[in-house]
Amino acid sequence: MRPTAAALVLLGVAIAALVAHRISAVALLAAVLLVVCLRAGRRAKPYLWGTLFSAGFVFLLSPLLQSTGYHVLWSGPDLPVLGRLDVTTEELRLAAVGLAFAAYALLLDHDRLIAAATARRSVLAAALATRLVPTLERDASGLVEALRGRGLAPEGLRGHAALLSPLLAGSLERGLNLAEAMEARGFGRPGRTRAPAPPWRAPDVLAVALAAVLVVVGVLWL
Amino acid sequence: MALATVDRLTFSYPGAAPALREVSLRVCEGEAVLLLGASGSGKSTLLRALAGLVPWFHGGRFEGRVEVGGRDTRRARPSDLAGTVASVFQDPEDQVVLGRVEAEVAFGLENVGTAPGEIAGRVSVALAAVGSEHLGGRRVTELSGGELQRVCLASALALEPRLLLLDEPTSQLDREGAEAFLERALGNGAAVVLSEQRPATALRYADRVVFLECGRILLDAPRDDALAWLDEHRPAWTQQPRNNVVQAGREAVCRVDSVAFAYGDGPHVLDGASLELRRGEVVALTGPNGCGKTTLAKVAAGLLEPLAGSVERAGHAAFLLQDPGRYLVRERVDDEVALGGGPADTRRTLAEVGLAGYDARHPRDLSSGERERLALATVLVGKPDLLVLDEPTRGVDPERKLELAALLREQAGARATLVVTHDAAFASAVADREVSLAALPEAVLA
Repeated sequence: MRPTAAALVLLGVAIAALVAHRISAVALLAAVLLVVCLRAGRRAKPYLWGTLFSAGFVFLLSPLLQSTGYHVLWSGPDLPVLGRLDVTTEELRLAAVGLAFAAYALLLDHDRLIAAATARRSVLAAALATRLVPTLERDASGLVEALRGRGLAPEGLRGHAALLSPLLAGSLERGLNLAEAMEARGFGRPGRTRAPAPPWRAPDVLAVALAAVLVVVGVLWL
Repeated sequence: MALATVDRLTFSYPGAAPALREVSLRVCEGEAVLLLGASGSGKSTLLRALAGLVPWFHGGRFEGRVEVGGRDTRRARPSDLAGTVASVFQDPEDQVVLGRVEAEVAFGLENVGTAPGEIAGRVSVALAAVGSEHLGGRRVTELSGGELQRVCLASALALEPRLLLLDEPTSQLDREGAEAFLERALGNGAAVVLSEQRPATALRYADRVVFLECGRILLDAPRDDALAWLDEHRPAWTQQPRNNVVQAGREAVCRVDSVAFAYGDGPHVLDGASLELRRGEVVALTGPNGCGKTTLAKVAAGLLEPLAGSVERAGHAAFLLQDPGRYLVRERVDDEVALGGGPADTRRTLAEVGLAGYDARHPRDLSSGERERLALATVLVGKPDLLVLDEPTRGVDPERKLELAALLREQAGARATLVVTHDAAFASAVADREVSLAALPEAVLA
C-alpha cells in the first residue's frame, strides 16, 4: 500500500477515536493501533512511553479542569485540592491519537510520503520532526553513557532532567548542520522535479475510501 | 581557466574575529587541491565560502569576492550553486535528510531540477561509483559510519558537480576505507578541494597543497614543493613520529579474558577476545571499521557487561566516547570539569589540556578541537587508574595530536591507558604496544 493511503487510514482511525461516543469503540480502536505499533518491535518503546506519559498527564490534569468527565471508566479517591480522580475516555482518546501518530512514525516510509506530497516542504518538516524522536533517544543514551564513562551516572528524575538542556542544545546544533547541508544540496531552489512514483492501485484507492468511511462511522454510529 | 576564484577574501562570523584574512585562491577544472592547517585555521570556512554558505547561511562580515563557475557567490545563493558545486561535510549523520539510501541520493537531483526520467539512473551510477550499489534499498539508520559517508559522497557525485568540496570526509574511516573513499572522490573528473587532518593518503592524490594558519594562506604550491615545505616548516604533517621510550607495564589494572558480546539479538561483535592492560603502559587498539574495537574498549571500562568471559579491574576506569564534544552537560567549562574533581584539580587539568583561562566560557561556544580537549579534561580530572579513549584524534590536527600524545605519555605512569584508534601516526606516537583486532568471523585476537 502507498504510504499516503496508509497515512490517510491512520488519520481516519485517529479522527474516529476522537469523535466516537462509545467507550468500547474508542478502546477497540486504541487496541488495534497498539497491535499495529507493536509490529515495529523495540523501536516502538519511546513512542509507547510518550503516549502513556501524555495520557497519564491528562489523567492527572483533568480533575483540575472538570469535575464530571465524559464516560467515567473508573472513579478514584477524592484528593485535597485536586478533587476526585476520574479516569475517563478522554485519556483513552488521547492514547488512540498518540498510537496513530506512533504507527505513522514507526511503520510508514516517510521518503515516499515526501515524494508524493503536494506541500513538500511541510511534509518534509514533519518527517524530520518525526525523526527527532529516535535521534533524541540516541543522543540521550550517548549522554548517559558519556557520564557513566566519567563515573557520573545520572540518578533519579532530577539527574535525568538535567540532561534536557544539553539534549536541546545538541538538537539545535544538529538542526543547523542539517539545514546547512540541505541548502548546499539545492533545497528551496525553484524548478524542483520529483522521481517518478508508482501509479495508484486498487488497494490504495480502497484504503482512502476506508479512511473516509471510518470518519463517517465514527461520527454517526460509534 | 579557473573554475573557482577567491579574491582577497576576509570573512568574520557574527561577533567573532576574522576566520579568513585576505585569502586568494584559484581552482582549475579537474584539479585536486588539499587544504591543510590546524583546527580553527579557516579550512572549513574557506570550503563554505566556495559553496556560497559563507556568507549566505552563516551571516557575518564578508569582504572580497568569490566566483564559482563564473557566478559571484554574493549574488548566487548556495542552492543556486548546487549542481555546479557539491559538498560532503565531516559528520555524515548531520547531513542525511531522508530515510532510505536511494531517496537520499535522489534528494539533491530533485532539488536541482533533474528530469524525472533520469533520476533513477543517476542514483544507480552514483552509488556504483562509490561501491555502494548494494545499499540502495537500505534505511540510512542501519548503515555504519563508513557506509553513510559513502552514501553522502554518492549524493554529491550524483549531481555531477564541476567542483566537489570535501571537509574532512574520512575522519571516521579506517586507512583502507579512507583510501578507497579518496580514490573514488578524486577519480570522477571534477575539481576537488579537500581538507584533511590525516594528510598522508590525501597527499598522494593532491595536485596542489594550500596551508592555512590563523585564516591566512601560508603556502600554495604544487604537491612536491609543498611536501618539501612541510618537511622543513611543519614536519608534524608529513613525518610519522614514533614513541621511542617504550615502557614495560607494572601491575595489571584491567584483565579481559575470553569475552563475548552481542548487541541485543544481533550477531556476536566479540567472541573470545582477551586483553591485558598494565599500569604505566599506553596500548593502541587498532583494526578495521566494525571489528569491535569500541565494544571491547567499553567492556574493558565496564560500560558493557560481556555475555561470556571475565573482566577484572583494579581501581576506577574512565571512558571518553567518540565525538565527546557532543556530550558536554554544563554551561561553563570549569563546571563541566568540576563534575569529576575539586577546584584545584579542575584548574590544573584545564591547564594541562591547554584550556587555562577558558573557565567561564560555554562549552558549546568552543571550537571542535577545544571541545575535544575539554572532554579529555573531564576524564583526566578524576585521575582514573584505567583511561580509555575512543578515537581521540578525530578532527584533531597533527600538531595537536603530538601534544595529546605527549600529554598521555607524560601521565602514563599513573595509570593504564587504552587508545582505540585507526590513526596509525597517532598510534605510533603514543603507544608502547599495539593490539590489533580482526573483524569477525575471523578469530578475534589480542
